[in-house]
Amino acid sequence: MARQTANREPVADADAAPAPRENREWQWSLGIGVVILALIGTVPLLGDQSVLSLWTFILMYCVLAQGWNFIGGFAGRAAFGNVAFFGIGAYTVSLLLLQNKPFWLGLTLAPIIAGLFAFLLGLPVLRLRGHYFAIATLGIAEALGEIVQAKNIGAPAGEISLTPPDLNFKVSNALFFYGFLVLSLLTLLGTTWLTRTRFGYALVAIRENEQAAESLGIATYWYKVSAFVFSAVPTAIAGGLFAYWQLSFDPVGEGGAFDVTISVAMILMTFAGGAGTIVGPILGAIIIEYLDQYTSIAFPTFHGPLLGLLIILVTIFLPQGLVRLIQELQRNPAGVKQSYPMRVKQGVRRVTRFILSNGI
Amino acid sequence: MAQYVVDWILLGCFYAAIGLGFSLIWGIMNIVNLAQGSLVILGAYVAYWSYTLLHLNPFLGILVAMVVVFCIGYAIQYVIINRVIRAPILVTFMLTFGLDLLISNVLQAVFTGGYRAINTPYSGAAVNVLGAHIPLLNVAVAAIAVALTALLSLFLSRTRLGNAILAVGMDREASQLMGIGIANTYALTFGIGAALAGAAGGMLAMTLQFSPIFTGQYTLFAFVIVALGGLGTPWAALAGGMIFAFAEVFGPLLPGVGFGLDTAIAFAVLVLVLILRPNGLLGKPFYS
Amino acid sequence: MSHASSYPMASNATGESQVPILELEHVTKRFGGLPAVEGLSFAMRRGEVLGMIGPNGAGKSTAISLIGGALAPTEGVVRFQGRPITRLSPHQRAQLGIARTFQVTQPFTQLDIRDNVIVGALFGGHVRSRKEAAQRADAVLERVGLAGKAHLKGDELTVADRKRLEMARALATHPEVLLLDEVMAGLTPREVGNAVELIREINQSGVTVLIVEHVMQAITGVSDRILVLHHGRKIAEDAPDAVLSDPKVVEAYLGERYARQRAAEQSRRALEGHENATQPSAPDDIAKDSQI
Repeated sequence: MARQTANREPVADADAAPAPRENREWQWSLGIGVVILALIGTVPLLGDQSVLSLWTFILMYCVLAQGWNFIGGFAGRAAFGNVAFFGIGAYTVSLLLLQNKPFWLGLTLAPIIAGLFAFLLGLPVLRLRGHYFAIATLGIAEALGEIVQAKNIGAPAGEISLTPPDLNFKVSNALFFYGFLVLSLLTLLGTTWLTRTRFGYALVAIRENEQAAESLGIATYWYKVSAFVFSAVPTAIAGGLFAYWQLSFDPVGEGGAFDVTISVAMILMTFAGGAGTIVGPILGAIIIEYLDQYTSIAFPTFHGPLLGLLIILVTIFLPQGLVRLIQELQRNPAGVKQSYPMRVKQGVRRVTRFILSNGI
Repeated sequence: MAQYVVDWILLGCFYAAIGLGFSLIWGIMNIVNLAQGSLVILGAYVAYWSYTLLHLNPFLGILVAMVVVFCIGYAIQYVIINRVIRAPILVTFMLTFGLDLLISNVLQAVFTGGYRAINTPYSGAAVNVLGAHIPLLNVAVAAIAVALTALLSLFLSRTRLGNAILAVGMDREASQLMGIGIANTYALTFGIGAALAGAAGGMLAMTLQFSPIFTGQYTLFAFVIVALGGLGTPWAALAGGMIFAFAEVFGPLLPGVGFGLDTAIAFAVLVLVLILRPNGLLGKPFYS
Repeated sequence: MSHASSYPMASNATGESQVPILELEHVTKRFGGLPAVEGLSFAMRRGEVLGMIGPNGAGKSTAISLIGGALAPTEGVVRFQGRPITRLSPHQRAQLGIARTFQVTQPFTQLDIRDNVIVGALFGGHVRSRKEAAQRADAVLERVGLAGKAHLKGDELTVADRKRLEMARALATHPEVLLLDEVMAGLTPREVGNAVELIREINQSGVTVLIVEHVMQAITGVSDRILVLHHGRKIAEDAPDAVLSDPKVVEAYLGERYARQRAAEQSRRALEGHENATQPSAPDDIAKDSQI
């Protein structure tokens, strides 16, 4: 690589102004994201309720993955308990609905409470390193679910059952679908904005090298806490929408509002799509959730093992995610003029080398 | 009260067995093995079937479980985890979670989610001391757990292979230069950690009910045990097991806590310890 | 305090800045009882280049970390422009104007070189916008000679370029004091020459530089004064020539082999080889010093 760069000096072409190149990158990402979401937005026109339900789940996971992306993808923390924010959102909305308070109030309070929770929780746990942070967050989420269950919060064993909204169910399903869509779009805009600000640079620097980040004047601890709060907000709103959309759910166990599998799903999706990228979480959520739903219908017995296998394959062969893979395949670090196939060929070599470099 | 103390000590030793392999894998390779619970349950099934099908003595069954799970663990590390050993911790975290999902779901698909347990003619044998009921099988299991802890400690400090494992844990690159084959040593480490999980599974099958739905729970227990004790030595796992068992047995007696909060208690203790003593109560940040 | 006495080379002082820009007072750092740095006191004038040398394990990197804030001293005070900063975190010190490089280079590997430097400019560099930070980054990259490699990623650089990136990123924070931790280790002689040239330029632009090196030759040319650490203690602080010929330094620090070479060289040149005659016991001297 060094040899190539040596060759390149004289060719230090006029595109030495790299700013426009970066600009194109975020504009491309945002554009692609908006187009994808707009396309998904046409699903209700099909009129098929089961398809609509599938895509509502996909959009919900888009939001969850996008939310996780702030703390996990940008700040690079191994947060394993983001489902806690989802559950807090779901129970905030449910408890208020059970007291005949309006839905919008719950949906407003959910992110506030979850954000506050993330802040107060983040203060101690973000001082922990690596695995300890991962397990502490995981444990908090598990413990919250267990407390809701044991203390009968909202209902016996926390098993919530709500009165449906006073609407035609097709209309209400479509409304929830668009609710998640708008939420995902807003999170997409938030993510794009983030990558353009000091805040975004700080998080990425922390992810790449916390010690160096601190030495350059970044208040790493406070940025991490902020990222955690950022992460909680969309996740909690999604939890609130989930509660009123599903109407009945448990605190723990499969499909529960504090089910750790949801945390894992967010991470897997963000990973598969590209952690720390703008559209990665959306792509990952679409692919993984679609595959997951498809296999659960096509091969119900092997659904679980297949998901496990999928996780293993993604972590080994796609550790940087689709978006980074595509970027890396096209990147031209040497800056020399070469045909597109040549460039991709070198990209493949780089990616292979990267994957191998994770092993012994 | 005597009953609680007995329960605490017996449970603590069993928990040490759960944490032992997890501690080794974490300490040497910096892998938090989220599939540990699956390996425990896998061991339980091996012990169960070697008793019901082969009519082996359940104590021999523990040995069989160790051998079988060792082989599986060795293969997992050699074929899969070695490929991402240098990746960020989240990657190994995800990977072992995937393994857990894979193993536990296969177990569930093959053996269904039903509860099983080894029932021997002497399963109910017990003595009463000071009004406390002491089940003898649990005493035997506790003794095996302590023996395994001692054996692992001796193995690491006294044998060539044990020293190689420690060396790799301290400095991968340097030990590579000294001619230690990393891929194989890692696979052996994971294999031994898995074998210990298998042994814990055999003990589990003899003393409690088990089912594939428990895998996640035992992984979490293993983590809490190791985080409480620290990573320094196998004995730290025993200490961690004791502390965790203490919280589990006596925690529900506190006013306002009650039963059904096992995980919450465990994590409340864990988070407190992590914040106050990030390297565990006894442990050092590395294995030695 | 002791720094006043250990301040023999005030010849090219500007006179206007009486307060040392950086000052360590009896700073000690122990790791589990073992002292890495013990009773270290020294002061730096604004605009000077101070070289700090010592063998492996002498406590040089620890000293850098104590000044940068990555480590908190067990005892003692660190002052910046007269103000105690001992309790400030690394990022607060960076914002005050203390920048450092790392001995083991710490690039943001997934970011390209330009973004690496932009991070420095954004957070320490008193810039208002990202655009301004980018301009500053480009200027710094030009200055350190990395402009042509701005698109490479942090892990695609040669050792020399990684070291340059460390300097560029630190420079982008607009530092008043620059702490350089072995930026010349592992470089070829020609690259060392370039690095020395660069450090001189940086210094001439008004930045006070503390440069830590393992190899003495590399920094004698660029340093106004040299401080020698041995087993965590200061055993000499003087002008380069004086330090180089200090028998205590040659014997106790540079090691027997160097001393023998030097002696052989000197006897060959028929110079007076009195080093062999005097055998100062350095640790005792230091013990006395640190009692002051």
